[in-house]
Amino acid sequence: MTFNPLEQRGIPLDRQLRNWRELNVQPIDPDHCDPYTRCRIITMNGIEVEAILFSHHLARNTVDPEVKRQLARTRYIEAQQQKVVNWLLPGVSSVLETTIAYEQVAVDLTAWVARMEPDPYLKQAYQFGVLEDFDHLYRYANLYELIEHRKAESIVEGLTEVMPGRPTRLHHRDAYDNVRDPYDKDATNPLSKLHALTIMSAEQQTMNFYMNTGPTYMEPIARQLYQEIGLIEEEHVTHYESLVDPGETWWEQLVNHEYNECYLYYSFMEQESDPRVKAIWELHLNMELEHLHVACDLMRRHDGREPQEVLAPELPNVLTFEPNKAYLRELLDTQMDLTTLGAGYVREAHERFEQMQEQIHGGEAPPSDRVMAEHDATFGREYRVQTEGEHPDPTQREK
Amino acid sequence: MSELKTPHAGDDKSRDDDVVSLLMRQHGDIRNLFDEVERSKGEERRDAFRRLVRLLAVHETAEEEVVHPFVRRSIEGGEQVVKDRLAEEKSAKETLSTLDDTDTDDPKFMPQLMMLRRDVQEHARAEERYEFTHIRRSTDATNLAAMAKAVKAAEAMAPTRPHPGVESGAKNVALGPVAALMDRTKDAVRKAMGNG
Repeated sequence: MTFNPLEQRGIPLDRQLRNWRELNVQPIDPDHCDPYTRCRIITMNGIEVEAILFSHHLARNTVDPEVKRQLARTRYIEAQQQKVVNWLLPGVSSVLETTIAYEQVAVDLTAWVARMEPDPYLKQAYQFGVLEDFDHLYRYANLYELIEHRKAESIVEGLTEVMPGRPTRLHHRDAYDNVRDPYDKDATNPLSKLHALTIMSAEQQTMNFYMNTGPTYMEPIARQLYQEIGLIEEEHVTHYESLVDPGETWWEQLVNHEYNECYLYYSFMEQESDPRVKAIWELHLNMELEHLHVACDLMRRHDGREPQEVLAPELPNVLTFEPNKAYLRELLDTQMDLTTLGAGYVREAHERFEQMQEQIHGGEAPPSDRVMAEHDATFGREYRVQTEGEHPDPTQREK
Repeated sequence: MSELKTPHAGDDKSRDDDVVSLLMRQHGDIRNLFDEVERSKGEERRDAFRRLVRLLAVHETAEEEVVHPFVRRSIEGGEQVVKDRLAEEKSAKETLSTLDDTDTDDPKFMPQLMMLRRDVQEHARAEERYEFTHIRRSTDATNLAAMAKAVKAAEAMAPTRPHPGVESGAKNVALGPVAALMDRTKDAVRKAMGNG
């Protein structure tokens, strides 16, 4: 890998604005697209949303009006990038179909990051989280067949298996136990910073999506399932954002954000199968290179440091969407019964966890269990995609 | 794709007392049949396509007889909403009739099927968003159930599943009989609605 974003120049900022015609992108065909093209779109939308929100927070903490204007200029372009990326999703898809694609992203993105993560503590955080996204995919897939008579397989196309993970009802932990310990910004591998930012952004977008689209459903079970899983997304954002060292300065964080966008657009450009979408990744990479330079200048000016001190000397190995079936089965076999205690992990239910469970469930089955009961009452079975055989955990096999 | 089959609406164990949820599940059944046509070849494709045409005919007729009149009558601006839906249906029917004249093995078949699939899918989502939401909020459980019963009556007119014995019969159905099927569906729906 020889690509170093710090040494490349992209499209000058004053030539990045797009008109309505250029913003009006043709959406992908939901029935015939590469599922991982849709995953890359959803990921980059989450990344752009985080870029916009972070820049707004930075602006609210900035006194100098000239710097505020500088941030606003880049942010407007990022808002256009978000529009182009997310508008690649088709209007004919239902919210539930898009939701299943979001969960496919959560499973295969988090699994890949867990596989590649060099720091064992961070790796454990991703391994822990991915088994929960995996179970969400399974619950939504059953809701999808129940309401729309469609199989999640027509969305994930056998690239990702659909079967139970850590049961969703057990994801509701005391908020105290959702906060992790952060990496050390001066000691950690630069790749770990990019991983944390990427997964945090993806989960944040998922949280935003569920909190806003959940109530658009009329079916009581759908409304309730979105509420339940939406609350777990709140836990996941807490989990992942606490991995990031809060000692990074605002400008350092800005540089990390822009660098990560270069890394991801570059990665996706390298592997994109849809030529039209690939051209967008390439264009956006060339825009991001310039945003990175602006951010680097701000960091030099305000922190008096060189961005090279905090960044990788060159781009890490490309982040890849690919099946992670064997890896996930290994985790299903070994980490199903974990929960968190403080900033660590234990196998036994502890007092704080049990108290939370008792309060939130109020003696009733949660929506994630009721959706399975309703599905069973309708079809006399559940919905799974097990391309690699039986569930690794004998207690989770279909009765 | 796995062997797991999603049964057609009416064949699952839903109570079918809500016309909206019934029609939404039928929209899924139609998409599943499009998948089946795309995936199969030769005789199998011919058969899957026949079943698709029948389901489309029955489903659209039921909507024309049950859903559109209700929307026209009960919803403010309903006239225009239905007009838009009928325009979509007309376009889909035109594509369908071109397609029906084309052999399923003809190289022209698949591109036309893709066009039909797009038209039908856009039409279905428009119904779900601009008609179904209004139906649920402007009527009660009794009426939702009565309309569901009428749609079920339409369904009974055309077995759309590959039951033994039906396949061979289905092979011979051309557009003429489909038009007749639509007429019979209409009669069945009107009877079930109590104004036949």
